[in-house]
Amino acid sequence: MSTHLLQPAFVDPVLDAQRGFRAALKALAEPGLIQHLPSAPRLDGLAPATYALCLALLDVDTPLWLAPSFDTPLIRANLAFHCGCPLTDKREDAVFALLGEQDLLDLGGFDHGNDRYPDQSCTLLVQLTDLEAGRGLLWRGPGIQAQRRVHVPVPQAFWHERQRREAFPRGLDVLFAAGHHLIGLPRSSRIAEEHA
Amino acid sequence: MNLSPRQHWIGVLARAQLSELQPHEAALKDVEYQNIRAPEIGMTLVRGRMGGNGAPFNLGEMSVTRCVVRLADGRTGYSYLAGRDKVHAELAALADAHLQGAHPSIWLSDLITALANAQAQRRARKEADTAATKVEFFTLVRGEN
Repeated sequence: MSTHLLQPAFVDPVLDAQRGFRAALKALAEPGLIQHLPSAPRLDGLAPATYALCLALLDVDTPLWLAPSFDTPLIRANLAFHCGCPLTDKREDAVFALLGEQDLLDLGGFDHGNDRYPDQSCTLLVQLTDLEAGRGLLWRGPGIQAQRRVHVPVPQAFWHERQRREAFPRGLDVLFAAGHHLIGLPRSSRIAEEHA
Repeated sequence: MNLSPRQHWIGVLARAQLSELQPHEAALKDVEYQNIRAPEIGMTLVRGRMGGNGAPFNLGEMSVTRCVVRLADGRTGYSYLAGRDKVHAELAALADAHLQGAHPSIWLSDLITALANAQAQRRARKEADTAATKVEFFTLVRGEN
């Protein structure tokens, strides 16, 4: 094992993991609202918010699919040590997936859950460089009173790809992370173009 | 059972008493190091086999303290020990890291051998005490005649 790559993770493992979990919960309960994770640790290649989500959500029962851009010895060693999560090459087996912006064009293969157990779907953790630099889109659905304008910078093809795979209650939940911030996009949110 | 040298010293460090490790605390902490996994207390399930070879069953849970440290030169030391002693866990992890260095012999002779001897003595004393209470049952008359 590559022990020389290991780095400290959460300063306070219990409270910081609870903060990470709480932020993920709030992000999915109020889609499009930016949540903050001020005390997240650093790891080369992962934004603090992404790493905090990994540390809070992953464990030995959650196989993780790593996009090639995140598949470095450093990230592998630290996830294996601190989360103990198995890594999988097969998208179908993954309960969580770690993706970058360039991986959003093809969401094929991930588990959408089934009609009886839609909760068994794969949750996508998407690391972006920014959460507010994109084109404004109007989000609607549960957790949003009327509509909310969100500027997540993702390619247009992602929205088509997502819509194509939507078969409620089956679907994919997404958590976008950048820096110390994150935004949730549950499968129930509906996206409309902004007519300006 | 064949133990590697590292398995041996990790076991000796885990079974040591905190009072035996504390005299070495200054020497053990005389390096730059960081806690990769700060000492933390948890539970582990102990499983057993009836008679040593039956089907495994859950015996119960016990508290375990573990710690991982890394010295400035990259060596990592691990410790897992029974109980809830965080200071002991950190010292044991530091000792494991030192023992993996280029000159483990000083640590082996100073620390591990002494600890192992003390543990062997404690064990022998306990076995002697226990042996004195051993009762052999035998039948004088079975009353069959």
